[in-house]
Amino acid sequence: MEHSETQRDRLLKEAFEYRLELVAYARALLGNYAAAEDAVQEAMLVVVKKLDQFEEGTSMLAWCRAIVRLEVLRAKQRTRRDRTLAQRVLDDAIDAAFEEFQSSQKSDDAETWREALERCLQRIPDNGRRVLKARFVQELRYEQIGEHVGMSLEAVRKSLYRLKKQVRSCVENSLRGAP
Amino acid sequence: MKHEDDLEDLIDRHLHGELTEAEMERLAELLDSNPSARQNLVEQSLWHTRFAEVLSDDRDMASESDVMASVRQTAPEKQASKIAFPKLLLTAAAVVIVALSAGLFYQKASSERRIAVLADAIRNPAAEAPVAKVTGLSGSLLWTGDRGQIVRDVKVGTELAGGTIEGMAPDSWFELEFNDGSTVMISGNSMLTFADQGQKELRLKEGNFSANVRPQPEGKPMLVHTRSALLKVLGTQFDVEAGLTSTVLNVSEGNVRVKRLSDGSEVDVPAKHRVTADADRELTPIRVPDSVHHWKSQLHLGPEGNYGKWSRAINDSQLASLKAIPLVPQEFPSITLYLAGMTVARADNSPVVIKPDSHFIVRGRLDTPASVYFGVWVSHANGEFAGKFRGDLEERQPVAELDSKGRFETVYRLSDFTLDPCVRDREDELPASPAGLVLNGVWAFTHTGSPSGLEVTEIELLPPE
Repeated sequence: MEHSETQRDRLLKEAFEYRLELVAYARALLGNYAAAEDAVQEAMLVVVKKLDQFEEGTSMLAWCRAIVRLEVLRAKQRTRRDRTLAQRVLDDAIDAAFEEFQSSQKSDDAETWREALERCLQRIPDNGRRVLKARFVQELRYEQIGEHVGMSLEAVRKSLYRLKKQVRSCVENSLRGAP
Repeated sequence: MKHEDDLEDLIDRHLHGELTEAEMERLAELLDSNPSARQNLVEQSLWHTRFAEVLSDDRDMASESDVMASVRQTAPEKQASKIAFPKLLLTAAAVVIVALSAGLFYQKASSERRIAVLADAIRNPAAEAPVAKVTGLSGSLLWTGDRGQIVRDVKVGTELAGGTIEGMAPDSWFELEFNDGSTVMISGNSMLTFADQGQKELRLKEGNFSANVRPQPEGKPMLVHTRSALLKVLGTQFDVEAGLTSTVLNVSEGNVRVKRLSDGSEVDVPAKHRVTADADRELTPIRVPDSVHHWKSQLHLGPEGNYGKWSRAINDSQLASLKAIPLVPQEFPSITLYLAGMTVARADNSPVVIKPDSHFIVRGRLDTPASVYFGVWVSHANGEFAGKFRGDLEERQPVAELDSKGRFETVYRLSDFTLDPCVRDREDELPASPAGLVLNGVWAFTHTGSPSGLEVTEIELLPPE
């Protein structure tokens, strides 16, 4: 099905607005944020190329997710060559979870979320932010973080758990209070 | 640990790729049986992604004195992705990827404007000037131009504008020659993005890469990005092996400056030295160790660097193995080979040089008797591609008797090897034999038209006694 230029632009816009959801999905399958970003970037090239195959009235998020899934499989093939049975079973369970529970967010909402998250992170003491950054950006393991901040593995885990809860709660309160 | 804490912990560690096989099974069970676990996974995935995106843009933190400075070197991927792509993207304004770039996505420009730019780029794919020419290739290759166009039938002589070229199989390789005569050669499963707008800029997402770089313009070194390092090259010969978290650079001639992205530290790597930019290692060049002449595969260490379905050892009689998987050669799309391949590496990183009169022993299993073809990929000591050779044994196939368990052991003498058909068009410029060259990879395959059950358990290179 060939889309008009206006339709095409609108559909592309819609697809790009799901980027965060798609990275989250890819990350759940790949276990690595940077690899997830790469897979979504590759997938978006496919989305652009195959946009005419998208059927209006169906879920854009589900369509994009299917494309991301293929890119994730290619990425896994490139890095690990083969998946174990446990990985396959878990991947299937993750797929089912996203199909069941992933909902799309409007981009305005996404921006509001982002701003709220930025504000809430600013309220976390520097040491806490460093630990969060070590975990979420640098993707360090608990023990690696612990070694460098002089905490036990369990203490790091608890600290991260507490920090995440604190930030999530702050964001949710902030959004509830937003007009 | 409470049930919900256990789940939270499992999901958290899964999102960082830290689960064991047993834990993966447990998480899958929890997800299968519990809707709230599934919801929790989806929510946590989104939260982790938000955290990563917002924290990675947290510039205040980057400028502060950082107690994690020494740890940062262990987490290169995110920075690599952020740094490498925008630079390449800037060189190709208004291309498709720009609009999709994670790094640019959250900049303040309105999404409508970005979409308009993207749509315009898609509608008006003006031809870009070629920056490089393909001078040699084999195997399946895919080129994606900066505007999103895809070319599968890349041939020798094809001129390419900036874009991404991807080797789709372990036997893929290609050589690009830039307009100034500098050459780069990529082999195996690999992905290289390149551009040249007055300054050559390449991004090796993964794989093996060697280059022979002509002197570059003053102040405009060739830049090679990997996930974990940035190489600045003025004119030299070197090769790079880029993995997900580390980059190994071997310099044969000249000098290459390496910048580790995780902490910004830099080091100059002189000729005949190697440096590894990755976690838990000093960024210090070390002299390339002396070569060795014996090599034995070590499949028991795991699947990394292999092509095929890896299985761990079960007992002494069922060793770790690599099962051949289907491969459709680009040159012959109507045939399906069953191939298992391995990268040749040694723990001490010493190059494996094949002595004249050496021989290879391939051990494995087959479901039914079949001809087993064996190939090697070699390079010169300076990292430059030196060819692919095959020991087909022609009329002597099938060469080994299978025992009652289908096991075989086959010897391939160096004198059995000839240039692989995929590089025969370069016969004049490639050596006639792999003798004296550095062994980089090996592979074995069958061509029986259906699965042969080929499983390789061990490959060994033995020098003459």
